[in-house]
Amino acid sequence: MNLAELQKLKEKAQKQVALREGNKKYRVVVSMGTSGIAAGARDVMKTMLDEIEKRGLADVEVRVTGEIGLEDVEPVIRVERADGEQTTYARLDAEKARKIVAEHLAHDTPVENLAVGKEKKP
Amino acid sequence: MFDELSLNLLDIGMNSLAAGASVLRIVVIESHRRDWLILQVRDNGCGMDDATLQRILAENSSTKANRKKSIGLGLALLRQTSEMCGGTFHVRSTPGKGTTVTASMRLTHIDRPPLGDLTATIETLAASPTVDVQLHYRNDNQTFHFHSQEAKHHEPSRTPKTKRKSAEASRAA
Ligand SMILES: Nc1ncnc2c1ncn2[C@@H]1O[C@H](COP(=O)(O)OP(=O)(O)OP(=O)(O)O)[C@@H](O)[C@H]1O
Ligand SMILES: [Mg+2]
Repeated sequence: MNLAELQKLKEKAQKQVALREGNKKYRVVVSMGTSGIAAGARDVMKTMLDEIEKRGLADVEVRVTGEIGLEDVEPVIRVERADGEQTTYARLDAEKARKIVAEHLAHDTPVENLAVGKEKKP
Repeated sequence: MFDELSLNLLDIGMNSLAAGASVLRIVVIESHRRDWLILQVRDNGCGMDDATLQRILAENSSTKANRKKSIGLGLALLRQTSEMCGGTFHVRSTPGKGTTVTASMRLTHIDRPPLGDLTATIETLAASPTVDVQLHYRNDNQTFHFHSQEAKHHEPSRTPKTKRKSAEASRAA
């Protein structure tokens, strides 16, 4: 185990906390049950956190959840906008995750060809 | 199913979040001298009673109602890996108090998966703002501690200890 790598945890944690305060426009929920993890959900999560930090997107928070009932198409995330619009993305990988950050979270443009569901909650 | 033990740790840690834990401690001890790798996940979540725990360990069952496959996998996976790698696997749990999962393995066992990206595992669990995620890592020469709540409450303009000392010294003088 490389301790230098672990040290980075502390710096990263500080930055992510700074991005965490207040009510956010977007909440990203990553499905992190056993099947999600096996399919690569941690990599998707990490890519999103890194990308959000790199772009300084202060209006986005990222959370994990257990199974969300889409075991066959993991890794799965749900992007929830404060006005109730929810977009579900499936079969993700790091590259697709970066695209979602760049287009949906940074520029309010959902990535239609990766979305498997969209609904509006009141 | 998992090619990194840090993915098992994430999976077991997710059980702790599901159990409503506010403190989640992961301990990793890597001793080349003793040829042991010890992994522990301890939480202060809702816990399980004995009957539930026995049932879960006996049949790999899950209490998740909406599971398609009605077997739990997370604990069974780590147990399998531990036993395959010359180690042991224990779960201790008290309802209302919490749960401790401990797995050991021979560090040099040929089938032992690498630890992998432990940092990513901790970062992922620590995204939950209501949980203090702690990592205690130790090997034969070094230790490392991380507490996510420390990061949350860190004040950048804290008075350094040395300053306080010299203030006291000047007062005494
Ligand atoms: N830390 C914990 N606190 C309380 N209950 C737990 C804890 N860990 C496991 N359990 C109980 O044991 C069951 C089995 O856990 P396990 O991780 O093996 O399967 P699962 O989480 O239900 O499903 P899977 O991990 O396959 O998605 C859980 O459903 C839960 O009831
Ligand atoms: Mg589980």
